[in-house]
Amino acid sequence: MSSSELASTTAAAPAAAAAVKHPRSRLKFKDTWWRHAVGVVAMCAALFPVVYIVSSSFNSNSSLQSAQVIPSHVTLHNFGSLLHNNVKGNTGAKQDAPYPHWFLNSMLISLLTALATTVLGALAAYAFSRFRFKGRRGGMMGLLLIQMFPQFVAVAAIYLIVLNVGEVFPQIGLDKLAAVVIVYLGGAMGVQAWLIKGFFDTIPTELDESARVDGATAAQIFWGVVMPLAAPVLAVVALISFVFTLNEFVIASTILQTTSHKTLPVGMQLFISNSYDKVWGPFAAGALLAALPVAALFMFLQRWIVSGLTAGSVKG
Amino acid sequence: MSTASTPPNPAEPPAFHPGLIARSIAFFSGSVGLGIKVALLAASNALAVWALYVLATHHRWPALGVLVVATLLIDWVYLAPVRWTLPAKFLIPGTVFLVGFQIIPILFTIDVAFSNYSTGHILARDQAIAAIKINSLQPPANGRQYDIAPARDSSGRLVLVMHDETGGKVYLGTPKGLTELSKSDVTIGATGQPTAAKGYKLITGAELFTLDQQLRDYKVPTSGGAAIQPQGTAIGVELKPTLRYDSKRNVFVRITDGKVFHDNGLGSFVSGPDELEPGWKTHIGFRNFSRIIHDPLVRKPFLSIFVWTFVFAAATVFSSFAVGLFLAIVLDKRGLRFQKLYRSVLVIPYAIPGFLSLLVWAGLLNDDFGVINRVFGIHVPWLFGGNVFSWLPFISWPRIAVVLVSVWLTTPYFFLVSMGALQSIPDELTEAARVDGGGAWQIFRRVTLPLLLVAVAPLMIASFAFNFNNFNNVYLLTGGGPYNGASSIAGNTDILISYTYKLAIASGKGSDYGLASAVAIIIFFIVAGISGVSFWRTKSLESLR
Repeated sequence: MSSSELASTTAAAPAAAAAVKHPRSRLKFKDTWWRHAVGVVAMCAALFPVVYIVSSSFNSNSSLQSAQVIPSHVTLHNFGSLLHNNVKGNTGAKQDAPYPHWFLNSMLISLLTALATTVLGALAAYAFSRFRFKGRRGGMMGLLLIQMFPQFVAVAAIYLIVLNVGEVFPQIGLDKLAAVVIVYLGGAMGVQAWLIKGFFDTIPTELDESARVDGATAAQIFWGVVMPLAAPVLAVVALISFVFTLNEFVIASTILQTTSHKTLPVGMQLFISNSYDKVWGPFAAGALLAALPVAALFMFLQRWIVSGLTAGSVKG
Repeated sequence: MSTASTPPNPAEPPAFHPGLIARSIAFFSGSVGLGIKVALLAASNALAVWALYVLATHHRWPALGVLVVATLLIDWVYLAPVRWTLPAKFLIPGTVFLVGFQIIPILFTIDVAFSNYSTGHILARDQAIAAIKINSLQPPANGRQYDIAPARDSSGRLVLVMHDETGGKVYLGTPKGLTELSKSDVTIGATGQPTAAKGYKLITGAELFTLDQQLRDYKVPTSGGAAIQPQGTAIGVELKPTLRYDSKRNVFVRITDGKVFHDNGLGSFVSGPDELEPGWKTHIGFRNFSRIIHDPLVRKPFLSIFVWTFVFAAATVFSSFAVGLFLAIVLDKRGLRFQKLYRSVLVIPYAIPGFLSLLVWAGLLNDDFGVINRVFGIHVPWLFGGNVFSWLPFISWPRIAVVLVSVWLTTPYFFLVSMGALQSIPDELTEAARVDGGGAWQIFRRVTLPLLLVAVAPLMIASFAFNFNNFNNVYLLTGGGPYNGASSIAGNTDILISYTYKLAIASGKGSDYGLASAVAIIIFFIVAGISGVSFWRTKSLESLR
């Protein structure tokens, strides 16, 4: 979590690039075939579920028994029935699955949380990185300690708090998206703030000094000098927070109760559990639609994310 | 914007090229920035005033006091012309949420862990006593019956027009009590039922049946704690209390036989094995923790879950690391073809949101229709099966499935990390070892692995702490199941956090917030211990400078 770790692991990325660009001494296939064999087997293992999801989502037969690598008949039917909430469940009756709602809820909650977390985290990180004040050490130690208690472990307490707050302020009570976002923000000062602080520490204070000599206030230095320089790291922190929030199940399932208010993990779990055999096709379509944007963004930001994850170890 | 890929060397400040973001941020930080600050502060104050008003209407005075003090303090910090509040300006926004949704839940968890807060123990004491009194109402042997007719009064409230056939009197029943009506105002039908009443509109037809639930809860109190309750829509029965609360002795006395139910100090009135419902919420000391140790109904599942949580996390981390390192060593060969392709494909499991992969795997591993069994021509009960070996009850197919899928999810992380770490080991070291006559295995064992572990060990500890609470990997795959008996909350693959979740929220067998919070505190101490070891090892506290 330290700045040196962030720096050392980020240094690995250019090293990897250099290794690839190294003048290629062609290796003989008879020496390397086993490496390729391992690589191909590993790729098959990695792609196995992906292939089945893609083919099942386009397969006209939407039961799990008929899932196969090559769809028997390619159709967009699964996407249509899912997006129009017209999925036939186990008994042939319509199974309520407001997928567009879940999708939007998840995106809204995750985006808001990611943005707010990054800004709140950056603000705190700036204070810890640039100011020397009484209680700074203690504050940082305290943050570290508190972060050892993952928020969702206190799920019973959080449920009871939201329940009681909701009696006075129904706007942020049970079943409200706003309540979920606000609860998530409780973790904003945690790992992410440490990650950002580590990066802020590497930005030379001379830049701050020269801006201060020019008459800039602390707020102006923060927004005008430090934040733009840290933009790539902030983007990664935001994405890590986004993915983490998107995956969150415990708190979301506890607070959100109406079917159309649920998030993707909670909704999809409810939708698919107990009816795997019948709604597999529409489920695969939904999984594909939800995974594509995130996976694309992830691959795009990959080399920065790896360093961020190494430092924060938020996922995995 | 390539600052992340090549972190600026402290020796040479990075050149500052104001990009679009920088310029827009600079634009907003002048007098515009001041305007934004004032606007934000005004908005938060307006919100606070509104919240004060709402709190006042609900008579929540302590909360109101806290809000007033906090708002004034925040205003002062942002407006006071003193320099030393500067750090606070940056820390307050995050701290507000930190206190509200991280620190207070922790404190509340500790409070609940020492209480009996659970289904049946939710009310305050006096509310529970009132509820017990109502619950004790029973029709006596020779109770009076009334012919009733639900009606609406002039303002539309539900009332009962009642006819006492034996006494020949007519009454109006409301939740406030019984009042006699003049007989001339009420028409009585042939069956004794009131058919019309002056000043009241009798409810008839379809509307009557929609009142079913409302009537069942309707009680017209009469003298001595008794009450009249509708049975159906046409008959009202007088109920009498079977229990009497003696406030001096603080006991309930059963009226028929004088049996005494005393306060057991744990939130219930009991007499021997009999307990009056509901109980109330009260502090019970370390009883939740001692239940985990002494109560066989809690201890047995808890012990099994406790051990399995450690095994699950350790197996996931070590297997993932082993596979990831193996792949990194095999594929990280200079000049190897398709290296980039391997790398990007192997990262895919990591790029897909985990919850989706888990739900998909649950389908692929499905015992009956699953693809895995079909493709490999096997019949393994992955998710609902029992023990793999009859002589080793610890290892079950669902547990193996949970670890396998977790390894699938976690391996890319260790693959990437190992690759980075391998590339940062200077070639000179392995070269020197080779010159000294070391074999490939020896070089790996004595040079590469120790150097690698320096970088990767802290990440493995962090990953262990994460997987220790990896709720999704268990719950989305098996739901914590399969279950041994229908009565058990704890399933075969449940880890501590999913067990806590079920205890508190989702067991379908009532909530035990007290026990759930006690388990949460145990989790906290374990994770704190793991993290403590990690910090101690990596000395990351050095960055506190």
